[in-house]
Amino acid sequence: MALLEIRGITKNFGMLKALDDVNVNVEQGDVLGIVGPNGSGKTTLINVISGFYQPTKGGIFLDGKNIAGLRPDQITARGIGRTFQSNVMYEGLTVIQSMLVSSLLQYKTGSWKAFFGTRTYREEHERVVGRVLEILRLLDLFNDTFIAADKLSYGYQRMLGIAIALAANPKILMLDEPTTGMNYEEAMFVVENIRKLRDQGITVLMIEHNMKVVTNVATNVVVLNFGTKIAEGPPHVVMNNKDVIEAYLGTENFGANN
Amino acid sequence: MLIGIWVDGLVQSCIYTTMAFGMVLVFSILGILNWAHGQFYMLGAMVLWSVVMLAGFPFGVGLLFSALLIGVLGMLVEKFIIDRVNVPSASGALYVTAVTIALQLFFVGGASMLWGRLEKGLGMVMPGILSLGGVNISHQKIAVIIFTLVVMAVMYFVLGHTRTGLAIRAAAQRPDAAMLYGVHVGRIKTLVMGIGCAMAALAGCFMAPIYPVSPFMGGIPMIMSLLAIVIGGIGSLTGAIVGGVILGLLNSVIAYYLSYFSEVVLFALVILILLIRPQGLFGVPVK
Amino acid sequence: MNPHIDWRNTFPKIVACILAAPALIVPLLTDNPATLSTMILSGIWAVVAMGFTLILWTGQFSLGQAAFMAIGGYTSGILSARLGWPFWPSFLTAGLVSGAVACAVGAVVLRVGGFYFSIITLALGEIVRIIAMQWQSVTRGTRGLVAYPPEAISLGFIKIDFEATPVPYYYFMIVLVAVTGLIYWRIGKSRLGGTFFSVAINPMLAEHQGIHLMKFRVMAFTVAGVFTGLAGSFYAHFLQAVTPYMLGIPESIQVMIMSIVGGVSSLVAGPIIGSVVLYNLSQFLQRAGSDLQTSGFVLEGIQPLVFGGAVVCILLFLPRGSGLIDLWTRFWKRVYKEVDFYELPEDLEEETNTH
Repeated sequence: MALLEIRGITKNFGMLKALDDVNVNVEQGDVLGIVGPNGSGKTTLINVISGFYQPTKGGIFLDGKNIAGLRPDQITARGIGRTFQSNVMYEGLTVIQSMLVSSLLQYKTGSWKAFFGTRTYREEHERVVGRVLEILRLLDLFNDTFIAADKLSYGYQRMLGIAIALAANPKILMLDEPTTGMNYEEAMFVVENIRKLRDQGITVLMIEHNMKVVTNVATNVVVLNFGTKIAEGPPHVVMNNKDVIEAYLGTENFGANN
Repeated sequence: MLIGIWVDGLVQSCIYTTMAFGMVLVFSILGILNWAHGQFYMLGAMVLWSVVMLAGFPFGVGLLFSALLIGVLGMLVEKFIIDRVNVPSASGALYVTAVTIALQLFFVGGASMLWGRLEKGLGMVMPGILSLGGVNISHQKIAVIIFTLVVMAVMYFVLGHTRTGLAIRAAAQRPDAAMLYGVHVGRIKTLVMGIGCAMAALAGCFMAPIYPVSPFMGGIPMIMSLLAIVIGGIGSLTGAIVGGVILGLLNSVIAYYLSYFSEVVLFALVILILLIRPQGLFGVPVK
Repeated sequence: MNPHIDWRNTFPKIVACILAAPALIVPLLTDNPATLSTMILSGIWAVVAMGFTLILWTGQFSLGQAAFMAIGGYTSGILSARLGWPFWPSFLTAGLVSGAVACAVGAVVLRVGGFYFSIITLALGEIVRIIAMQWQSVTRGTRGLVAYPPEAISLGFIKIDFEATPVPYYYFMIVLVAVTGLIYWRIGKSRLGGTFFSVAINPMLAEHQGIHLMKFRVMAFTVAGVFTGLAGSFYAHFLQAVTPYMLGIPESIQVMIMSIVGGVSSLVAGPIIGSVVLYNLSQFLQRAGSDLQTSGFVLEGIQPLVFGGAVVCILLFLPRGSGLIDLWTRFWKRVYKEVDFYELPEDLEEETNTH
């Protein structure tokens, strides 16, 4: 049984079929690339898995249990975290504040103990702060700990997005276009970090347009077009698939750039 | 008698519609609810009273003068007060709300000082009654209805078919994109505020010959236009019109049959709408 | 110097305490009942304004806090005047009932978006008023209830008598403000405060970090309801009456302005400053207005004019997006740097290269 099973997911927005009977299996330790032309439903898929949208039909099974229809916070509590395509930030907060405020799931102590500041809470708090700083160190954000998040450069803001998602202790991390807008070095830095996360046991799903990134780090790839899955398999196999090439025909994305 | 109620209702509809329209216009562009909107209504009526009763000008002149004056006042308020206090972040709405509430007090106080607290009558501006199948309708009320239709027609034309109107709509939908197309969003904001306040003033002028005017007359219409917007859907101009019509008629009918409970019924209706269909009739659906 | 005390954060607080200390001895400086009364009422409004700010910290605008005061006032009035309960149980029950209503209403109404929530809270004030007027058998309708002063407390040879002077009320107010302030302050500084804040500024992101939005919104609304109910009960027993007209939409709006002018970035000091300044201003204007009237100048409408104008001027004068309390914090920030909620280990800043 796969860690995450997406079975027959269909998502309609009125007349528009954004996702049509999508089936994907994700094994523990995979790095799954989700590719496809613009508008093919990649972000919608992530939105459905994360609970932001309710699927019109189908189920999503995490460790065998159906999580479709749950609220986003419930799904994140079960171990699925995500980043966003356009950088979402907490306006006005510093890096460390953004991280701490996003780390609620790392605590076992409840709101009452937190309110009174009991010793168990304070000990746990120190541990959480330590973990948060580790995440920042990993993503090269440590030096910016006290900087306001909206003053970071674009690349580092995207890093912060990943850091925030990691603060929720996910087993599965879904990245929505993590390297978009980055230059080669920054993109490779992200790749390196994805490898490190995979080594730590985190399963990764990533929406990507940059094929170099995908071939570099993905274990397998799923291709969407107009809401349906048109190909699946290891990266080099999928890249040479006739249907996939046709779907991308006319766009510059395939194989090129960076 | 029944027709009388409907006519009264229609007159109230005109007033609420005009006010609600102005309020939605301001809300769409500035993103804020102007809590002093009712005071512009009141000031419109007071200025009209001064012009007609003290200076002796005819009603039409007074109307135009009042609308213009209050419109300009609105623009000044927007430029020098609201804009100064509006912060781009989420808390901007907070400060604008506080400032408009404070302005409301300021205007009530100022009007009390300038015109005294007592109610004043305007006298019949358009004497005469139309007899329609056994029912008497005053010319005054018919004039209000016709006036409102004219104003609405003008607004639709301006918004739909002029360059300024286009600029306004663009600024309402995507201010950042509109700026790139050369729309001076700051000026549009000021202009729209002026138009919105002028509409409130017009509503006040419509009302003035029918009911007595006083510095305190702005409170209820403010709440009523708020209700109209909720019914019609916040952010929708069509909604403001439909909401205003429905509210005016409802108010009149309910007031006739259940004189005391009208406000209870109206409030209950509004809450029901907010819980079942928060976006009203024409608003953008809430998630 | 004790190395374990964070002087940068503590010094301003010490100064603040020194500046606030005279409040404790006000009754020794004056026995003018009007002055004491104004201070007592300022304190009551401060407590309510704190509730408004707390709800605001979860991203919601409640225009109906006066309704919760009314619920508190009526509960304790009914319990004490009609059922014969002594003051203290009535007072505490008023807070609980108000909180329970807030919880119930919040659970239903907070699902709906921000603007709509505000309108519903506005309507709530009216609903409470209408219920108070119509449910005559319990609330005695428009005649209202008499709320007796609290019973005298005997501590050994000292008897605290609430009927003679306002002084015991004054100290009661100080205690209420202090306890409420302490609790709200602690909420703000703790993990809870950070969570509320994240729900306010980016609910979508917060939700994806495992934060159950409704839970925290209702939590804040309920806490505010409890303390606002207590304040309302105190209000009723101080004025010794509770009627349907005394707490309505104008009062809810007044609370909002006090909170905003005081500064919404602060859960305790901001509302306190806002209510003290604005309430004193409005009382001063009322007295000035009636003085002018008795001396022959009839300047109708001067109170709202000056009050409204003053608030507009204050808001224009303050730097964009801040309240009175922010003047204080900005002043100290020029000297020191301060970190808000969450207590961070001190050596953290030395480790990172702060630019």
